[in-house]
Amino acid sequence: MNLDDELKSALRREDPPAGFAQRVTARAQSRPARNPGMLRMIWAAGIAAMLVIGVTSVSQYRQVQGERAAQEAVTALRIAADKLNMTRDKVLKLEN
Amino acid sequence: MKTLCVAVLLAGCAAAPLAAQIRITGLDGLSSKAKASVDITLDSSMLHMAAGFLGGDGKDKDAAKLKDLLSGLKAITVRTFEFKEDGQYRLEDLDPIRAQLRGPGWNKIISANEDGELAEIYTRTEQGKVNGFAIISAEPKELAVVAIEGSIDLSDLSKLKALGVPSIPIPQQNKNRNKKGKEE
Repeated sequence: MNLDDELKSALRREDPPAGFAQRVTARAQSRPARNPGMLRMIWAAGIAAMLVIGVTSVSQYRQVQGERAAQEAVTALRIAADKLNMTRDKVLKLEN
Repeated sequence: MKTLCVAVLLAGCAAAPLAAQIRITGLDGLSSKAKASVDITLDSSMLHMAAGFLGGDGKDKDAAKLKDLLSGLKAITVRTFEFKEDGQYRLEDLDPIRAQLRGPGWNKIISANEDGELAEIYTRTEQGKVNGFAIISAEPKELAVVAIEGSIDLSDLSKLKALGVPSIPIPQQNKNRNKKGKEE
C-alpha cells in the first residue's frame, strides 16, 4: 500500500455511530446553566477588593509622606532656631 | 497680539513671587566633601501635610506651637554641611545666595564676621511684616544656609529649642532620603 492509499484510508469519511447526535444534545442539556447573578457578584467582589487595596495603599503612602514631611519640618525649624540663636550669641559676644 | 500681551503679563505676575524665593545654589559640590550634610526642601503642600501630623488633637502644646509656626510658612530650605577639615569650601561659594539676598525687599539685619567665620541674618518684609527669613552661618568646618518663606515670628523661632520637639518615627526605608550622615 502506498502513501496515497494510506492517507485516503485514514481520512475516509465515516458516519458517526447511531444516536451520537442525541447523546451530544442530551449531555449539553444536562449541564447546569450558569447563574448570571452569581457572576456579577464575583465581579463586584473582585472590584471591591481592588478598590480597598488601592485606597489602603494610597492612605499608607500619604501617612508615610506626611510623617516624613513632619519630621523634616521639625528638623529644619530646629536647625533654623539653632543657627538663629548662635548668630545672635555671636553678635552679642562681639558687642561685649 | 492683545492676547499675547495679556499672556505675557500674566506669566510675569505668576513668575514674580517665584523670583522672590531664595534658591540655594552653588553648594551642590560640597555634599561629597562633607562628612555629614542635611538637605531639606519643603514646599507649601509638604508643609501643609507636615502640619497635619503635628499636634492635631491639641493635647501636646509644644507640637501645637510648632504647628502654629508652620502654618504661616510657604517654603523651607535647609542645607548644612559638616566637614572633617578646614578649607573645604570658600566663602565665594555663597555669592550666588548672597546676591539674591541683596535683592529688593531683603534686609541684612545681623552680620558678624570674625576670624574667617561669617554669620548673617536677612529678613524680607512686606507691608511691615516679615515674610521671608534667611540665615547664612559659615564656620571653618561647618556651613549652614537656611531660607524660610512665609510669615514667621523670629522670637517664636528662637524659643523653639526650648520646646520639647516631638519625635515622629519614620519608616526605615525613607529615613535617610534627604540626609547624609547623622544630624547632631
